[in-house]
Amino acid sequence: MNESICVEHLNYAYPGVEDTPGVAVFTDLSLSIEAGSFVAILGSNGCGKSTLAKHFNSILLPCGGKVYVCGMDTSDDDLLIKIRRSVGMVFQNPDNQIVANVVEEDVAFGPENLGVASPEIRRRVDQALKQVGMYEFRKHAPHLLSGGQKQRIAIAGIIAMEPKCIVLDEPTAMLDPRGRREVMETVMELNRNKDITVVLITHHMDEAAMAQRVVVLHKGSVAADGTPEQVFSQVELLHRIGLAAPETVELCYELGQQGIPVPLDCLDIERCAQAIYDRMT
Amino acid sequence: MLKDITLGQYFPGNSFIHRLDPRTKLLMLVVYIAALFIAKSWISYGMMLVFLIGCIAISRIPPKSIVRGMKPMVVILVFTGVLNVFMTAGETVWVEFWIIKITKEGVIRGFFMVMRILMLVTGTFLLTYTTSPIALTDGLESLLSPLKVLHLPVHELSMMMCIALRFIPTLIEETDKIMSAQKARGADLENGNLMEKVKALVPILIPLFVSAFRRADELATAMECRCYHGGEGRTKMKLLHYTLLDMVAFFVGAVLLAAVITLSVFGL
Repeated sequence: MNESICVEHLNYAYPGVEDTPGVAVFTDLSLSIEAGSFVAILGSNGCGKSTLAKHFNSILLPCGGKVYVCGMDTSDDDLLIKIRRSVGMVFQNPDNQIVANVVEEDVAFGPENLGVASPEIRRRVDQALKQVGMYEFRKHAPHLLSGGQKQRIAIAGIIAMEPKCIVLDEPTAMLDPRGRREVMETVMELNRNKDITVVLITHHMDEAAMAQRVVVLHKGSVAADGTPEQVFSQVELLHRIGLAAPETVELCYELGQQGIPVPLDCLDIERCAQAIYDRMT
Repeated sequence: MLKDITLGQYFPGNSFIHRLDPRTKLLMLVVYIAALFIAKSWISYGMMLVFLIGCIAISRIPPKSIVRGMKPMVVILVFTGVLNVFMTAGETVWVEFWIIKITKEGVIRGFFMVMRILMLVTGTFLLTYTTSPIALTDGLESLLSPLKVLHLPVHELSMMMCIALRFIPTLIEETDKIMSAQKARGADLENGNLMEKVKALVPILIPLFVSAFRRADELATAMECRCYHGGEGRTKMKLLHYTLLDMVAFFVGAVLLAAVITLSVFGL
């Protein structure tokens, strides 16, 4: 298996202030993410999702264990730039990751930092903006755009660095439904057409259901790992750790509780309706 | 009220002035300001005014927005004007009343001072209106780059300026939100004397600062994630280069400065 990100026995604690002890987040976490895959990481608040994401490109360094990105050890200082250009990061608040006040200048920020030659930057910026469908907005000021558009600009800024992997830390948390759809479509297209590994950190079950693999974190360790169907059919486990399954699965689960067993692997409405129909006839 | 702030506002366009290299415009502004301070007579002021109005006309910036940008300047203009009118000693007394004496020289001087400030500010506006902030900071970085030899953090300064300009609208929006939130909680921002008004600002400024620091922290992380590691080894998407237009502008600037200096040497 060709691994994009590999976490081995990760141990991490946020350092305490003065006398207070640090807060342990991970004690022994191992996880590997295959190149070209689309993985969703789920978990309730405070389970370490974002902390894990920050380990993927050396923003945080492990206290114990190792994190490898495309075979590079994230604690190796000399590889820092190489690691960060391999793993791009998109954060929750689009406002706080846009540096410049013209869209295309902001997208150019990453390649400029990497020392790419000017004509090549121009090409990459245009290409990245076309990929996220924001090319016609290239001369606009970011603060006049909608949340979904801003987040797509942030994604364009990352793909202009031509990374192998994109980590999105709750990219849709501050967006309206339309913005969420725009961002998710962009991300899925990148994964499909550009073969970019996508790690999506989210607490929207329906977004996680679009991934090829879902990893559920709970209290710093992996509680469930598998295809969306496999993970979401463990409804009781999800409930126990404060999460809910997608609405369709919840419905099937409730029906099961009432003595009408329906398979729990229907993630879209069509299939769910079909399963209930089949059960009834 | 907060929408009136025009600092760093840019009107996109494609006029002669828009197309000039930002370095040319910066240097021209320096020349223009120098000429403004050398100018002493009606003729030279008139010349400067014609030049300025010409520039505004060429740039196709709506004069209305320049006038709007002047609004916050009114207090300073009135203050300067009044002070100069009353404080200048002169021969020809026009009005004498108690200890107040208004002389012809004072009025003329006051008028010139007000004109000077007005033209200074308008000229500066013209620069920020016709130059995108990025081009401006790029130009500044390029002009100041010789100072890198003295270990002056030129790149860092221009980066800071660029980010500051980028966050002005965001922070203004945020201030508006906080003000509404505090009003919803019953804060009285409009009434009361000066002291009370200043005190009412505290519950607006504190959340604003807290959020600005949080933003700064997140932005720093996001910049690191995009491989920002200072100015070293950095390239630019848009390279600055002088064109024929810049030569024309430099020529006009040189003629203007020469004319103003000549006039003031001959005491005109």
